[in-house]
Amino acid sequence: MDGKIFYITKGKLQELKKEYEELLNIERKKALGQEVPKILESEDLNPEFVSFQEDIGFLRSRIDELKNILEHHELIKAPAKDKRGVVQLGSKVKIDVDGQRDEFVVVGTLEANPALGKISNESPVGMAILGHKVGDEVVVFSPMKITYKIKKIKYDVS
Amino acid sequence: MPRRGWVIRDIKNPESIAEHTFRVAIMAWVLADQKNNKLNLEKLIKMALIHDICEVYSGDTTPYDSILPKDKKKRQELLKTWPRFSEKEKKRLAEKKYKKENAGLEKLIKNLPSKLQWEIRNLWMDYEKGLSPEGRFFRRADRIENFLQAEEYWRRHGGFSLKPYWIQAHELHDDPTLLEFIEQIDKEFHKGKKSKN
Repeated sequence: MDGKIFYITKGKLQELKKEYEELLNIERKKALGQEVPKILESEDLNPEFVSFQEDIGFLRSRIDELKNILEHHELIKAPAKDKRGVVQLGSKVKIDVDGQRDEFVVVGTLEANPALGKISNESPVGMAILGHKVGDEVVVFSPMKITYKIKKIKYDVS
Repeated sequence: MPRRGWVIRDIKNPESIAEHTFRVAIMAWVLADQKNNKLNLEKLIKMALIHDICEVYSGDTTPYDSILPKDKKKRQELLKTWPRFSEKEKKRLAEKKYKKENAGLEKLIKNLPSKLQWEIRNLWMDYEKGLSPEGRFFRRADRIENFLQAEEYWRRHGGFSLKPYWIQAHELHDDPTLLEFIEQIDKEFHKGKKSKN
């Protein structure tokens, strides 16, 4: 826990708050020796936090992790209309990468997952495209030249 | 079991999943050690040891598999680029991979004592979903081992493009320790020069 600020979307924040409440409830029930409902088969819940209930060590460390995130987060918000012309945290960017089309959302490290089109604002590409507008070409070197051409910027922060 | 990314690039006698696992465990330990006790090394090393065991049943996959041509020339052409998919397709492929690997893991651990099953399941889930600092760090360190291996094969054998590896590195990595390591790899293998490969 190094005091890092976590930039998260509204949807992610709601998901984490819900998980935090659920896990605290499970921990409370376990401490009182009460039976915790078997929710493993439930499809409404994320499997990752369902499984924590079976392991006290994991349960506590996940609660601590969630508490740290909730205490040190900053919500990613759509900017004012006149500032939506440049790539910022939360931008959904249609991009041309060396002639190939793709689409990224620029997010904080917690939600980053390039396989799902979520690029960290702290990654070299994330950092390079921040502040650029439609039509800009951003070149990332080292050791080879890769060109990112910004085609469209949208805001769909949820 | 050979790593599929090297098989599709026709690397002879390529790194196996077990060899990858061993090296990434060492790398994660050594790299995490530079973070001044911010990470739980026991958790990290256990995560490294189990992160690919599901592949005993699920097999290894690459991001190219759903679009990989049988024709060798077309395949080599595709492997010069990083595969791009629509948002919907990215989600579908990720879910398919997760389900297949989760089923492989469950099959493999089903006869272990319950406590151990939960520990392995939670470590794997943490790695898959990046639920803790260790999970997020290891998920990235796993790609670094693959990246380093690509550089080593490229220096030794050539015959394939490094560009997709660099694209992935630039789009994925955001951990300062790992970004510094990538810079060191650049210096070691390319002396910091720009290259066409």
